[in-house]
Order: sequence, then structure tokens, then C-alpha cells
Amino acid sequence: MSDKSYEMIFCIINSGFSETVMDAAREAGARGGTVVRARGTAGKEAEELFKITVHPDKEVVMILVPKDIKDDVLSAIYKSTGIDTAGQGIAFSVAVNRTVGLG
Amino acid sequence: MPTLPIFPERTGDTTKKNIAPIKLELLVTIVDRKKAEFYADIIQSFEVNFQFLEDARGTAKSEILDYLGLTESEKTVIFSVAREDKVDDIMFALDMRFRSIKGGKGVAVSVPLTSMIGSTVYAFLCNAVGTVNGGAAV
Repeated sequence: MSDKSYEMIFCIINSGFSETVMDAAREAGARGGTVVRARGTAGKEAEELFKITVHPDKEVVMILVPKDIKDDVLSAIYKSTGIDTAGQGIAFSVAVNRTVGLG
Repeated sequence: MPTLPIFPERTGDTTKKNIAPIKLELLVTIVDRKKAEFYADIIQSFEVNFQFLEDARGTAKSEILDYLGLTESEKTVIFSVAREDKVDDIMFALDMRFRSIKGGKGVAVSVPLTSMIGSTVYAFLCNAVGTVNGGAAV
């Protein structure tokens, strides 16, 4: 139960790009994920400064992966739906303390 | 009955940090939507005072679902804030049900919380009932 060999990847992307994220993640070895709908916000000044438009309709893809493939999955997601793509994805991972239900 | 403050009184020594005596973790539980309330009630029974549920969907492709004889990709994500000393018990209870209940399979992970602000909120989240007197945190 106590298991530090997994990490949870969160990927925030424009609505409609969750399949692109999952395709890239699967290529890198991930098994599956869960998609939650969300709403994005950004400061108007920051949007203009960085020349980024934040679409309010977002999806958050959560993918639980073994720690040893985390970097590969993040890299694959960045290449397919990074901030410079139409998906405007932001991905990060957090370490998890315990896991159940994976077996 | 005297009650203990959650955090020690601030002293003149500003280098001394407030350290929470009870650690908290964020529990993320992903289950089929039909079973969401059932699992939320189980988690709540472990002194969990704050949960929120978010509708979600699984990413398994429809042909895989058909192949496995599954029709369900509608999920619910339950976010719960739990005391660290309760998380093992919660995980055990969830694991037992994931394995034994038909259509009740799911995944749960816990992530440690590193910081928070507000002693009343903290007392609420860790269910520190002994620190509350007449509705006001002391």
C-alpha cells in the first residue's frame, strides 16, 4: 500500500486535446488516464506580455505512471501538446505516497 | 476541560516555524460514477470532513471497453483531505472494496500536503474537535 514508485502526472490542456495527450502518453508507456473538465483563468496583462491566449474551456488529464517512465511520458506530452501547440498543454507530476487498486 | 492550541503561541523568536502536529494528505480516488457516493461515504467515515467530487471520464478506447465487456467510462474523481495517520486505514478499506464489489473497481492515491494557512480550517480538515470551544477555535 505504501508505494513511492508511482507519480501522478497532471496535464492541463485546451478542451478537445485529451486524446492527443493520451496517445502520446501511451506511446511512452502509460496505461490509461482520467479526464476532468475544468475552466482556465489568466491575468489579462500576463496574457499580453507572454502573447498567450488562455482558452477558458480546459481539460485536466490525470495519469498515474511508474516513476521510471515519468520523464518519458512528460516529454512525449510536451512534444505532442506542449504550450507552443494548439493544445497549449502544461504538464507536471507529483509524487504519491500510497496507491491502491492498480493490481 | 482545558484544550490545547493547535499551534504553539508565537514567541519573539521569529525564526521558529509553526509546524502542524498532524500532517494532512490529499486523497485522489477514481471510481465509476454510480459508485461515487458509496466510496465518498466510506472515506468520510474516517474523520474526513472535506471532500469534493468531480465528474470525469476514463480514457480507455471504446474498442477496448467492448473487448473487455465494459460499457462504463464515466468516472468520478473524489478529492478528500485526510489525516496522515488515517490514510493507511482508508486505503485498506478502499482496497478491500475495490477487490470485492462488483463494478466497484477503482484507483486511489495519496499526495502529501506541504503547506496550508488558517488554524480553524486546519482544525476542520484534521477533525481536531478538542480544539473547538462553542464554535470558535481556541
